[in-house]
Amino acid sequence: MTENLLEVHRLSKSFPGVRALHQVSLALKPGEVLSVIGENGAGKSTLMKILAGVQPADSGDIFMDGKKTSFETTRAAMDHGIVLIHQELNLCDNLNVGQNIFLGREPRKLGIVNSREINRQSEEFLDRVGLSVSPKTIVGRLTIGKQQMVEIAKALSVDARVLIMDEPTSSLSSKESASLFELIESLREQGVSIIYISHRLAEVKRLSDRVVVLRDGEYCRELIGDEITHSNMVSSMVGRDVSQFYNRTAHPIGETVLKVNKLTTPHWPKHSVSLEVKAGEIVGLAGLVGSGRTELLRSIFGIDRPLSGNLEVNGKTVQIRSPREAVEHGIALVPEDRKQHGLIIDLSVQDNIGIAGLRKHASRFGFVNFKKQKSDTDTMIHRLDIKTPSDRQISKFLSGGNQQKVVLGKWLSMSPKLLLLDEPTRGVDIGAKQEIYQLIEKLASESMAILFVSSELEEVIGISDRAYVMHEGQLTGELDRSELNEESIMRLATNTAELEEAKI
Amino acid sequence: MGDRGTGLLKIAGITTLLLVLWCILIWESPLSFLTPNNLENLLRRTALYGVLGIGVAFVIISSGIDLSIGSLVCLAACLLALFLQVDYVPVGQVDVWQVRVEDSTISVAADHGFTQGDELWYYKDRRNKGLVKVVNVGATTQLNGRSIATLTVDPPPKRDQDSRETKPLGKISSTFDVTDYQGSQTTLESDAPDLKHNDKILFVHASETPREKTVDRKGDGNQLVLTDEDSGLNAEFRAVPIRKIPFMSIPLAILSVFGIVLSLGIIHGILITRLKLQPFVVTLCGLLIYRGLSRWLTNDQTVGFIEYQETLGEVATGRWETGIQFMPVKVNPVDGADSWKIVWDSAEGAQMFGIPYSFFIFLTVIVTAIIFLNLTVWGRHLQAVGRNEEAARYSGISTHRITTLAYMLCAVLTGLGGVMFAIDSNSIAPSSFGNFFELYAIAAAVLGGCSLRGGEGSILGVVVGTALMQTLYNSIVLLKIPDELEFTIIGAVILFGVAGDELARMLAAKFRSKEA
Repeated sequence: MTENLLEVHRLSKSFPGVRALHQVSLALKPGEVLSVIGENGAGKSTLMKILAGVQPADSGDIFMDGKKTSFETTRAAMDHGIVLIHQELNLCDNLNVGQNIFLGREPRKLGIVNSREINRQSEEFLDRVGLSVSPKTIVGRLTIGKQQMVEIAKALSVDARVLIMDEPTSSLSSKESASLFELIESLREQGVSIIYISHRLAEVKRLSDRVVVLRDGEYCRELIGDEITHSNMVSSMVGRDVSQFYNRTAHPIGETVLKVNKLTTPHWPKHSVSLEVKAGEIVGLAGLVGSGRTELLRSIFGIDRPLSGNLEVNGKTVQIRSPREAVEHGIALVPEDRKQHGLIIDLSVQDNIGIAGLRKHASRFGFVNFKKQKSDTDTMIHRLDIKTPSDRQISKFLSGGNQQKVVLGKWLSMSPKLLLLDEPTRGVDIGAKQEIYQLIEKLASESMAILFVSSELEEVIGISDRAYVMHEGQLTGELDRSELNEESIMRLATNTAELEEAKI
Repeated sequence: MGDRGTGLLKIAGITTLLLVLWCILIWESPLSFLTPNNLENLLRRTALYGVLGIGVAFVIISSGIDLSIGSLVCLAACLLALFLQVDYVPVGQVDVWQVRVEDSTISVAADHGFTQGDELWYYKDRRNKGLVKVVNVGATTQLNGRSIATLTVDPPPKRDQDSRETKPLGKISSTFDVTDYQGSQTTLESDAPDLKHNDKILFVHASETPREKTVDRKGDGNQLVLTDEDSGLNAEFRAVPIRKIPFMSIPLAILSVFGIVLSLGIIHGILITRLKLQPFVVTLCGLLIYRGLSRWLTNDQTVGFIEYQETLGEVATGRWETGIQFMPVKVNPVDGADSWKIVWDSAEGAQMFGIPYSFFIFLTVIVTAIIFLNLTVWGRHLQAVGRNEEAARYSGISTHRITTLAYMLCAVLTGLGGVMFAIDSNSIAPSSFGNFFELYAIAAAVLGGCSLRGGEGSILGVVVGTALMQTLYNSIVLLKIPDELEFTIIGAVILFGVAGDELARMLAAKFRSKEA
């Protein structure tokens, strides 16, 4: 066995209210593909950010070639040959491929950027990643898959020995994914080590030499070779019996609360979506990231105006032109991006919970009913068990789970008839996750209609009465509770045949 | 909302700065700073600029900016002056359209109402004017499409004239007997029209120069009391009663100004929310457009309210006397060192301290703004939109309406400020009036703790910020700091204040993270 290229010893990192990483150690050999898996909030992203110099660790050591190092900046990490390729690509759309590859390190001649040299060298690296485009192509014109190749070429240009890829396939088509996998294999042969992070277990299984599982910020288990099986990965990640984690009880299902009739969203103008949600029903909306689920919720909630189609709420056809109107119709949305859309992060818990009901509870002449706001807040803090020192605490100092509960509290204080949830457990620790599932369950039993988007298959399978699956802007299927399993969802989410290809 | 603690800390910080500055002024220049007059001035200036500061604070809290304030102040002031323009028109005045020497006639509009024997006052310009008597009233004929009547007059006109265009050749109006004139009191013949306060009488005579007098009030019976005496006047004169005709009444004029600035504010809001134009650009264009409009509307002439000294002038210079009298005076003790003390007795030169009326308007604005921003739904929505517009929208707030509301409020307060400044200065030069006021307002708001990132800021902070700015200005005058350095000093103090605030915030964050 060769020497370890990169070693990590007892790395820890905390954020206010959250222990993101606790005493995590791992090692990476040259020319190895190591996958790091774990649920959301397990600490994968934090670990990778520390390795890439995006943020410092609180404690712990990093060894490169057996020498102790520490990275204060991404630049320092890069100098050691560690490059992080983000989920969202870091390229300048308006520059060409060559300029992007050499951004900040342009070869110069008498102080003037030497474009010829850039193009010549770029071609070399593009060749290594197997991308046949001219270095003079503007990056914005390339597909996401090709842009990712450019990003990798850029990494190679700084002599990257460790490539960290964070969910690289999340926005790729299956064809693009396939060529990425080929590239990864060829890089491995060139001696480049790869740390691969993905939720897609099929990919992980196909690519990895070794898999490290993180759970709740701690090192959990390592899987090598034959141990890398789907069930091993799932059980290590979740760490408990899945059926108990999602504790479902049957309850009666009532009238249709929401009926979506041939709704076309501005993002997917060619496809329309029809679905319905009944009172007391928990309906999942599964699919890959970027399949149009968030856009559908946005259109239902009046954030984007649909191009065509209409909504029926409680049997009446309604036009919803703004979130305000949606709220007036008894609809609530817990958005995916909690910090940008869900909360006003600089305001207190009370201000956030009270904000939606300000108008509703106002006295004559528009004065705020502070008593009501305070009592609503107290009720929600108690009911949702929001862990906060006081209702005056600024929301940004709460943990992700408690922030999410604040968002939920804001809407529950409005007693909506229909609750739309977009990735409700993203960035939430495992304990809060379970509480949110219980809450959803309880709300449904109180005959609230619930439509939730989730990229976690376990979650969709665990709590839905029924689920719709989306693929590239259209519904590819509807699954009953009895039909729900990973395979059936993935088949619909990737539109059948492509799944087989990914799985080999 | 939200970080209430830091908000209070900010106000405390800037208030300390203000107090320190006052101490310096009292220490360095007590004899000029502590006079009732100077303090009143400080209050008045703070009130005027403070109204603008509160206006722009709403916009800044909504995370926008308004650069058009100075020009809008000017536009509001010019509009007010134009709306309050006054015409003095002789009662029953008619236009003259034709003059014929041949048969000694002049032609006037047919509905003149003159009869044979009337003595009339003819006025064309300084040289062509005089009393004429109607000898005969002729028939009605047509001239250039107008119905005119011919009057034979004595003395006969000097040369033929014919108005072929729309402009009349002069004006002619009735005159009335002066039955009595004594001192400043006069009585006109009984069928003369009623005259009121501020109307005028032009006393005319066949050989004397005419004199214009202002009516102060009605006396007993038909008697009129004039504002001044004139020993040259007597009952030989004839009187041309002149009515004061304002274009608009004061309340209507002010309401109209508010209506116009309010619509401009709504237009700003709509351009920013619906067309998604940047506030900086929209209001920068406003700055240019309103300045140009003001100059065009007034022909670039200085305008004012000379006719309204007793009403508007009173509001501008008026003050509510507190009953407290004082004055700092110099004492020269035996050892020769300069010292000073305050005397409280008018016999020793103390003066009455009064609070300018404009300060009460300011107080009303402050209280209303504080209530609006903190206790009403719209105020809370405004703060939420400023903090995070997207999250506010996702919470069911009509962010477009709220943003537009902020620009409306700013425009209305700017209008109010414009009216106050206009009345206060009484002389509005449209090319320079209000220049840089937007920057003073923004500076005061920023100094008072408003963040241009939006969401942060308090009305009280803006008030203290304005007071600080005005005190700075005051100290530049009193401490005899070169005038040219005014902007430099104000700029430096704002920079110091804002940097200090940011530093305190960083330290607080560090402290907090250490604690966690």
